[in-house]
Amino acid sequence: MEKINLRAVFEKSGRAVFISHLDLLRTMQRAIKRSKIPVWYSQGFNPHIYLNFPLALSLGVTSRTEFMDFSVTENVDYDRIRDMLNEKMPEGLRIISVAEPVHPNKDIVFAEYIIRFRSEAGTEKMREELEKMMALPVIEIDKRSKSKGTVKLDVKPHFDIIKAEAEGDALTVFIRLPAGLKLNINSNVFVDTFSAVSGIQFSNIYAERTKILLSDGENFV
Amino acid sequence: MLKEKIENLLPLVKSPSRYIGGELNSVVKDKSKIDVRFAFCFPDSYDVGMSHLGMKILYFLKNKRDNFWCERVFAPWLDFEELMRKNNIPLYALESLDPVKEFDFIGFTIQYELCYTNILNMIDLAGLPVKSKDRTDDMPIVVAGGPCVCNPEPLADFIDLFILGEGEEVNLELMDLYAHMKKQRCSKKEFLEAAAEIEGIYVPSFYDVSYNEDGTIQSVTPNNSHASETVRKRIIKDLDSVFYPEDFVVPYCEIVHDRAVVEVLRGCIRGCRFCQAGFIYRPFREKSSDTICRQTRSLCESTGYEEVSLSSLSTSDLTDIEETLTRLSEYTAEEKINLSLPSMRIDRFSRELMEELSRIRRSGLTFAPEAGTQRLRDVINKNITEEEIMRACKIAFEGGYTAVKLYFMLGLPTETDEDIIGIAKLAEKIADLYYNNPGRQKGKHLQISISCATFVPKPFTPFEFEPQATGEEIRRKQKLLLDSIHSRKRVTVSWHNYKVSILEAVLARGDRRLCDAVYEAWKEGCKFDSWDECYDYDKWAEVFERLGTDLSFYAHRARSYDEIAPWQHLDYFVSRDFLVRENKKAHEAGTTPDCRTKCAGCGLSKAMGGACFGKN
Repeated sequence: MEKINLRAVFEKSGRAVFISHLDLLRTMQRAIKRSKIPVWYSQGFNPHIYLNFPLALSLGVTSRTEFMDFSVTENVDYDRIRDMLNEKMPEGLRIISVAEPVHPNKDIVFAEYIIRFRSEAGTEKMREELEKMMALPVIEIDKRSKSKGTVKLDVKPHFDIIKAEAEGDALTVFIRLPAGLKLNINSNVFVDTFSAVSGIQFSNIYAERTKILLSDGENFV
Repeated sequence: MLKEKIENLLPLVKSPSRYIGGELNSVVKDKSKIDVRFAFCFPDSYDVGMSHLGMKILYFLKNKRDNFWCERVFAPWLDFEELMRKNNIPLYALESLDPVKEFDFIGFTIQYELCYTNILNMIDLAGLPVKSKDRTDDMPIVVAGGPCVCNPEPLADFIDLFILGEGEEVNLELMDLYAHMKKQRCSKKEFLEAAAEIEGIYVPSFYDVSYNEDGTIQSVTPNNSHASETVRKRIIKDLDSVFYPEDFVVPYCEIVHDRAVVEVLRGCIRGCRFCQAGFIYRPFREKSSDTICRQTRSLCESTGYEEVSLSSLSTSDLTDIEETLTRLSEYTAEEKINLSLPSMRIDRFSRELMEELSRIRRSGLTFAPEAGTQRLRDVINKNITEEEIMRACKIAFEGGYTAVKLYFMLGLPTETDEDIIGIAKLAEKIADLYYNNPGRQKGKHLQISISCATFVPKPFTPFEFEPQATGEEIRRKQKLLLDSIHSRKRVTVSWHNYKVSILEAVLARGDRRLCDAVYEAWKEGCKFDSWDECYDYDKWAEVFERLGTDLSFYAHRARSYDEIAPWQHLDYFVSRDFLVRENKKAHEAGTTPDCRTKCAGCGLSKAMGGACFGKN
């Protein structure tokens, strides 16, 4: 049987941001089944739709740059596959495009985020505290790792803040963080660290992943 | 807007997708065009409630009507409830995220006794008084249906009206009545009076109960001219043509029964004497093979589920089971869908059936002999012989099965030590059968698991008169069973907590004086009583003690045939005479054939206009 590997770029927003990574797998499998695209099933006693997500997204984070790899058994126009899938997607999940995968998953090195903070402390105070934190020589946190348990990690060199803008009652931070197999720091780590170091209670946080990047800063596709 | 408040808290709780709605196939309507809003509440967590078939049916049935909007509500888990209370988020419905307090109806489905405290907790979380008498005309009408309302007395203080029997017709009648009376600005009392005239609607406040000196019931009398002496449950006559959803709401998170479900029949022909479902869901009605195939296909296509199960009390009793399975498995194999049959009887298990089942996937086999000796199986009218059990296991082993799960009950009426030792003997015999099977795969060991529940006497069964075994007796019986099993390697044993069964027994046959205990237990913090990690028997015991309620009066007392039961004024078509006859027969270890073979005269055939089956 022919097996053509494809990669979809999709959006996860609105109520769908509360779908966990594991649940996303099931949700996508069902959407694909409903769509009736000629999807490839794993061979064997218990055939199932094979899906791979190159980079997991934390719960609560919006994104318009998520990737999902799957395979089909016959050559169908990419836009047609996108449209068939979108007809059966639940609220908050939308396929933006379908194409052949170019880069292997292991090439992912960075991801960029927009994080919008709100707090009674006000934007000036938040910006001040952010500058103070970034002026620290070392920011050590406890990071959980699968193999080593909890380890101490200095995240200071990994918080690559592109810019921070005050806008109304919100402070919006544009940040690049390490992602992928070697070192993965998700946006919640930055949020939690900022909150812990500054002592500010944020009332409302919006986080969105905007880019997934290779080591040279080019887009993962 | 509650939405933003909820979303801010969701990152802090376990499995947040349960609390925000938006699932595939959930129904969202424009509320300005709606006459009646119904908050359908399942008094347990989302994962349990979303698995429940009755809710799926009634949800889509009501939403098919343009002027009704039915939404789903579940009990928030402890972590989220705490945050909701702290942040003043009232109980809300998943589709609109509006507070249920704003709805016309709040409706509960009551599937088991141990959810009673959750019902109170949800009404309270909605911001409403938990007692009916304290809820005013501007508040929603609180209704409840489901199997437990065949004796709803321990909830009589909290629920405005109960819906007895099958809901497909009566729910719409009730909502139509409400729509009509809402326009005329009727009071709650006027609505309840009009509702009481609908067949199947029971308004508990319209009845007075008096008691004898010994604590038994003296009389139940209507106190309102609109209430009739007895209230009859509703029955759907033609199951084949009754509404069945083409869609299910597909959850994001994993739920208990995460699959498409097609109901293939209602009622049961067997008449096992312990089984409440076997009597309160009578008569037996089934769907045609065509209907089952059509509904399976439609549900699988609209949900994308990889598994479909044929659901009923006893799926192997479907007349056309083999033809239906052959037709279905052609479709499911092609679509790589797993077909499962959860309720199989041992005596209907054949090689053909097994082959249909294992075309896609194979799991362990589960059978329910319920009792360890033929004598006791006859007492409970299980109508299964040891030869049949061995034959079914032999077919299964030859077909490659290596795991068997067996369900039993401890504390059945007339049970002796010999019956308990019989469970162990039966398990060992099955193990011997496996190891003596020449065709078995070398090196593959058999796993036999025995799961023992404690018998709970239930209303509308021939055992409704029986005492439940005391905790002390059950502990002794459990130990005896363990001591009787010689090879713990081959046979594993597990039980349900008997302290749970005692509370079940009290509430199942309780009267309305128990409302105080339910209320106090909830006040003391009891909720999610069906969850091991939440159930606190000591708290319940304390409440009973404080109120001077004797558990044994309800659970461990033998009731005479002429005692007035708390549910005597509710009519499920099964006659008291029949239950007494069956009870006497049980004590003589006499069996009653299934309804298809011979009508036992339970009273249902009257409701069906003569006969449940073609000729008998």
